[in-house]
Amino acid sequence: MNRLNNLPTLRINPSEKLTLKYKGRTFQGVSGDTVATALFANGVRVFARSLKYHRPRGLYSLDGECSNTCMEVDGLPNVRTENTLLKDGVTVKEQNVVGSADRDMMGFMDKLDWMMPAGFYYKTLHKPAWVWPLAMKQVRKTAGLGAISPDFRIKGRYDEIYPKADVCVIGGGAAGMSAALAAAESGRRVILLEARPWLGGCFDYRSAPYEDGRPLYERARELATQVRETPNIRVFTQAPVIGVYNNNLITAFQTGGPEDSFTERYIQIRAAGLVVAAGCIERPLLFDNNERPGVMQVGCAHRLARTYGLLPGTQAVFSVGHDLGLEAAIDLFDLGLKISCVADIREDGQNPELLLGLKERKIAFLRGWVATDVEGGKSIKKAHLSTVDGTISKSFECDVLIASAGLTPVTGPVTVAQGKTAYDHHTGYFLVTETPKGMHVAGRMTGLNHCRSIEASGRLAGLQAVADCGLDRAADIDAAEKTLAMLPGPERGAKLVTAPVKGRKTFICFDEDTTIKNIKQAIEMGFDVPELIKRFTSAGTGPGQGGIPGHNLPLYVAKYEALDTKPPKPTTVRAPLTPTLIAAYAGANHDMHKRTPAHHIQKAAGGVFRRIGVWRRARYFSQDFTCREEILNVRNNVGMLDASTLGKFRVHGPDALKALQRVYVSDIAKLKEGRVKYSAMCNDDGCVIDDGVIVKQGENDYYLTTSTARAGATAEWFRYHTRYEGWNFAVVNLTDAMGVVNISGPNARKVLEKVVDADISNEAFPFSGYREFTVAGAVPVRAMRLGFVGELSYELHVGASYMPTLWKIIEEAGKEFGIQPFGVEAQNVLRMEKCHIILGQESEQRTNLLDVGLGFLWDRKKTDAKTVGAAALKQTEGDTGRLTLVGFQMEDSARAPRDGSIIVDNRVRGYVCTARRSFSLNEAVGMALVDSQLSDIGTRLEIFEDECNGQRLYCKVVPKPFYDPEGKRMKM
Amino acid sequence: MSLTLTCPICGKRNGYEFRYGGEDKGPRPAEEGLSPRSWCEYVHMNKCVAGVQKEWWFHRDGCGTWFTTHRNTLTNLEVEEPEATS
Ligand SMILES: [Zn+2]
Repeated sequence: MNRLNNLPTLRINPSEKLTLKYKGRTFQGVSGDTVATALFANGVRVFARSLKYHRPRGLYSLDGECSNTCMEVDGLPNVRTENTLLKDGVTVKEQNVVGSADRDMMGFMDKLDWMMPAGFYYKTLHKPAWVWPLAMKQVRKTAGLGAISPDFRIKGRYDEIYPKADVCVIGGGAAGMSAALAAAESGRRVILLEARPWLGGCFDYRSAPYEDGRPLYERARELATQVRETPNIRVFTQAPVIGVYNNNLITAFQTGGPEDSFTERYIQIRAAGLVVAAGCIERPLLFDNNERPGVMQVGCAHRLARTYGLLPGTQAVFSVGHDLGLEAAIDLFDLGLKISCVADIREDGQNPELLLGLKERKIAFLRGWVATDVEGGKSIKKAHLSTVDGTISKSFECDVLIASAGLTPVTGPVTVAQGKTAYDHHTGYFLVTETPKGMHVAGRMTGLNHCRSIEASGRLAGLQAVADCGLDRAADIDAAEKTLAMLPGPERGAKLVTAPVKGRKTFICFDEDTTIKNIKQAIEMGFDVPELIKRFTSAGTGPGQGGIPGHNLPLYVAKYEALDTKPPKPTTVRAPLTPTLIAAYAGANHDMHKRTPAHHIQKAAGGVFRRIGVWRRARYFSQDFTCREEILNVRNNVGMLDASTLGKFRVHGPDALKALQRVYVSDIAKLKEGRVKYSAMCNDDGCVIDDGVIVKQGENDYYLTTSTARAGATAEWFRYHTRYEGWNFAVVNLTDAMGVVNISGPNARKVLEKVVDADISNEAFPFSGYREFTVAGAVPVRAMRLGFVGELSYELHVGASYMPTLWKIIEEAGKEFGIQPFGVEAQNVLRMEKCHIILGQESEQRTNLLDVGLGFLWDRKKTDAKTVGAAALKQTEGDTGRLTLVGFQMEDSARAPRDGSIIVDNRVRGYVCTARRSFSLNEAVGMALVDSQLSDIGTRLEIFEDECNGQRLYCKVVPKPFYDPEGKRMKM
Repeated sequence: MSLTLTCPICGKRNGYEFRYGGEDKGPRPAEEGLSPRSWCEYVHMNKCVAGVQKEWWFHRDGCGTWFTTHRNTLTNLEVEEPEATS
């Protein structure tokens, strides 16, 4: 097909060839083509088959308003090819066909429409009951558009951005660009979102004169240049809006070009002022076979020629209801399209200059006429026209029928944000009557048609949006209002909803194959409002998001019901306003994690890192994931662990103690300086949420640790539970500011003694002691004697920047004793042997302080503190139906059950928290939460492990702890 | 997602910077003599107002302050002047 290669309005580059594969053949397109226009240029007219009746479907709107041109592109189904730019080398396939779109074996379905009235499935396939499972299989086989392979992995890079804006403008047409320029005058940041790949809107392809005689497309390019040259306007093209929410939150998706770093990206903008200048789409003309390939809308035909250089056919009939149709007829005639006649729904009101233009070109013009039917299958041969009242008819041979009832505004961005619309009898539009705070509408969607009015309304809305940012623009707004008032206002629009037809093959919704006959059936069954009719007939529920039936459905229902008292009301529009890839919602999925200050040292030492909570931590130090060497070295010698992920906080101020008393179950008042206190926090239900140690560093000054998992929520927790008190204290999160080295094992003291000046003998620095000293005469540390792993152990807290130095000093000092780093898994086994719990492992959401055996921490006497959880603990004390934490030993000492395996008899009685083969004990041991009735020492427990094939494991309840029950080793 | 909240320290910010802290129920009741029922009323029962309510928010990704604000639960918008009904 020859292209019109020299039009100044082209958005393609005819010299840059691209290829695409379709039906085993290689076709040629050009840069700037959409997939659909490239196929059209190669003679393809049937792009897909319809959902229900398998009717052939062709190019209709060129704006993605229906599924007519949904195809599979490079394995991705339901790509709206008419607004997807062609990339070189893509493979395109038809979908929803048995055979091909041209010769679809399911085409006979079109003859069976009489069998399938509205609500067919709901009404027929449920009686008798056994029919449904069979019918469902068949329905599922034929239903749906496109198919995706379960193995399909989407290609490309998906991203998200949250650009900052004071004013956001939706729509890059003349109104939107004018709004952006007006808003940018005051220096505020403006973002302009445009769905198409270029700015210009409905001026972009039109050669009709602007007020100074220049063609509109030149004016559009002039405005676009101004916008691009304004530094505080950021333009996103190929970025359709998908939602508008409270407080002007705007979301959009942008498709990237070949030079962009993303395939698609999610855009989220919060703006003080918002201008919606989304323009209009065409309201489809309803007549028999109104969706045959060859029937297309005015803008589609006009843009095919002007934007892509493709004439829509050779011999055309026009059936239109707006001056844009007459303008397109004249322009396309001049570009070489033969026109049999132009029928206009309207009896009068046409622009006289356009009528003169038709007359000069000897194009037959019929006032008050409309298309009623087309003949033909995969292409059209003839169009039947009649007067609007249906009394006189005529037929014309043609291969394209350019049909449109008029325009209708794109109100989705307004109504999703709870703005209101109302039917306007003058324009025949659903006009915006109420906008949320900070939203302004402009341009064609307000009913304006004159080019200067469109721009003036944009300017006004842009200034109003800047005023929402708190700027005083009253004088400018006043002037802009006056300018707009002087210009032509909204024009009278065509009201016709359907041609005079019966409607069996008159499609109100293409995506779902809904005819006006279906709508009539639904109304007769008693569905009286469009919202219900939409659900019952599924009109407007397809990929086009109601673009085709959106405003025709309520108008048709209103007309059919003939109730003047009830104004037509469109169905609710919801986000996403444009279909989007889930991949773009998912975004880039960055792995954001924290690293401890000893990360690199441990990496160099052979640490195997795992993501644990927000951290990446060294879990193992060899490929032996049982950690045998690491464990035995701690038990028999000395090991060092990076415990920097512990939550670390300073709580200080006159009321610090009160705050601690509120959140800790123990009586913190008893804590003495130089001592470490182990305690726990509960929530209001008494469920244990955290444990850690508290140190008194001075008067009203405490240092405390929390479990790694609770570090992020601890400051919030303190402040939440004291929020009514007005206490004077501060919580400082030192988690990332401090590093922690834990030195554990019988030789720990020998190592530390070498590098400190202080006396750290058992007498001078006993178990549960707290000391501050310097290491190597330079590194100040806070040292605690704890026993989490059950051995002599020192926990050294240092400023994070000292951490690598301290690590190296200890490592060097420990060399002669064979010190080795150990990882989180070795620690896990070591502490499990001691039955020291890790909350979240030996507890779940419902586990309270008493269940895990930490009831001894709770001080019942400090009721004045209103301790969080104390009231609930009192209530649960007598409960018999709770789980209790027990220690168990496996009957088979070589085999530990997997963590999380369930304890069963004839029902579930609990679960295994942590269980390991213990090298220290030569047994398989673990801890489990079990029904309290099963917690007695010696009780035999039955364990069901995943995939155990009926082979149960057995263990018995034994006293805790398993290792060093007297606790002598950690007090050495 | 579209919610905005006005932190007394940081000003109007996106809702996802905050954590909801529940309805404003007043100070903690005294622990001594607290019946299970009153404990449950305080901890778990909510008014679930369809309209303007006073509620707590924590500026988690900001200054770390707990503050109260009035929000219309029907529109999910903060209101400046609390209505007398709440
Ligand atoms: Zn704040």
